[in-house]
Amino acid sequence: MTDPVRAIPLVRTKYRRGHRAAIAMVAPAVLIVAGVYLYPAVATVAYSLSDIDLSPRFRIVRLVWFANFVNQLQSAAFWEATRITLYFGLMLCLLTVALSFAIASLLNQTFLGRGLLRVVVLLPWAVPPVASGVLWVQMFHAEFGFLNGLLRALGAEGEVIWLGGQTIALHSVLIAEVWRWIPFATIFLLAGLQVVPRTVKEAAAIDGAGSWRTFTNVTLPLMMPVVIPVVIFLFVWAMKVFDTIYVLTRGGPSRSTTTLNYLVYRQGFEQFDFGSAAATAYLLSALTVMAIAGLGWMLTRARRLAGT
Amino acid sequence: MRARSSRPTRRRVITYLAAGVVLILMAFPLYGIMLTSVQFERDIRSADVAFVPTYITTKHYSEVLSAESGVPVAESMINSLVVGVTTALVTVLVAIPAAYALNRMRVPGGRVILGGFAAIYVLPTLLFVMPLFITMVQLGLYDTYIGLVLPYVAFTLPFMVWIMGSFVRSIPVSVEEMALIDGAGLFQLLIRIVLPLLRPGIFAGLLLGFVLAWVEFLTPLLFTSKLSMLTVTLGLFRSTMDIAIGQLAAATVLTALPVILITAFFQKNITEVITAGVER
Repeated sequence: MTDPVRAIPLVRTKYRRGHRAAIAMVAPAVLIVAGVYLYPAVATVAYSLSDIDLSPRFRIVRLVWFANFVNQLQSAAFWEATRITLYFGLMLCLLTVALSFAIASLLNQTFLGRGLLRVVVLLPWAVPPVASGVLWVQMFHAEFGFLNGLLRALGAEGEVIWLGGQTIALHSVLIAEVWRWIPFATIFLLAGLQVVPRTVKEAAAIDGAGSWRTFTNVTLPLMMPVVIPVVIFLFVWAMKVFDTIYVLTRGGPSRSTTTLNYLVYRQGFEQFDFGSAAATAYLLSALTVMAIAGLGWMLTRARRLAGT
Repeated sequence: MRARSSRPTRRRVITYLAAGVVLILMAFPLYGIMLTSVQFERDIRSADVAFVPTYITTKHYSEVLSAESGVPVAESMINSLVVGVTTALVTVLVAIPAAYALNRMRVPGGRVILGGFAAIYVLPTLLFVMPLFITMVQLGLYDTYIGLVLPYVAFTLPFMVWIMGSFVRSIPVSVEEMALIDGAGLFQLLIRIVLPLLRPGIFAGLLLGFVLAWVEFLTPLLFTSKLSMLTVTLGLFRSTMDIAIGQLAAATVLTALPVILITAFFQKNITEVITAGVER
């Protein structure tokens, strides 16, 4: 107890030397995670640098160094997937945050049935991704899907082929994913809104700021430290979307819904080209890490601006 | 006076209108699938979609759960139950001591371990799956319960250590110190003091572990192929090859129901956990 001001829990001091017990308690978790994450992560590096033969059984034929990476960076399919992935990620973040912000602002008011609405808003999150995929397949069904039924009921002619065209299929997947992520973003943003002191907004209103000006000049900057973490979460998830694409479109029509993550699956488990799949997986990881670094930098700036 | 009172009224109307729109947007797909699951096939396949049912049939549910069903949905639910419960128990059992040590004791490299556990989720799961696939096949774990539980536990564990950590931190240190001063050893401290105080956390962790295992899709897709090893999500996907839409809808509801019930029941706690995260 050298520093009486900073009270160090006795539990910590007592077991300072008793490393062995602490290590024994952490060891099983670390060993499992190392076995299932660390070893494969290293092995995938090896795969990405090799020529791999999978039939009749797994065999590393020879080391090809960066050939797999170069092949990917020179292939049109890779860049197409990169473009789709980035577009998908940006749109998912933008749409989800905008809609969730509106819903959170609504839930931040008092009205009859707010508790019920809160539960309903949370529900899509509880739907297993595959179930949500199947659910949206039925929603999007051209002949007897609910969306076209709704359009017909509103008097529209003909039918929208939701999963048929290249552009619309990607946006249909987007709709399904936005619906799934609104619950998380809404709760997160609602918690943030409740922290933004009402008095600040009232002061702005007294100073004569309209509700839109109050929003853009007061609420939004104060909320940025909450918005950016949501964006980071959403972006990471967008980079990892698999189940919804697999169930809804299988990456098609043609390659229009093949994101990088789905490309890894295609290369690895449809073409059984583990070398290319490993290289693509690492390129995707690099992209994700760079995006997070950028967003993290924005977060520190936003925190400074918001004064927290 | 009149102008003043009409403004809040208009605001109110807008609020309720917006609430109605949100309710429809979020609930409509769920309502749609439930409706489809209780309608006869001929009505489902009619172009005039009936948004309000005039009758309800449980035919699709009994067909899907019967032994003659093309996809053994009932069996797949039992498989997922077994795998999910095992995963939950093992994950919580391994996570608790780790979470306690990482938050209350000195562990060499403890911060690195906690940071690494969070960073893992940034990387795509498929990155780890290829070598695992090879290993599973080589060890003969392909198409076995262990072959599913092992990756499930590992995928859930880092998150579980974090969640358990937040419950450990909420235990007042003074309680533990009192026990230490009374001469309790580490083992006694953990069993007699920490575990009972962690009860709500353990309960939440078990449910979380179960839910995460129940919804997992990629692992069973890649690591199993036998029909007798079918999990509930894979079974649902297999059902999409079927043509009976009503049955597929019923299978979807059955797959989602346990998770939806758990979430609806614990929505307050879920909200609290996220809110605590925001404030930190």
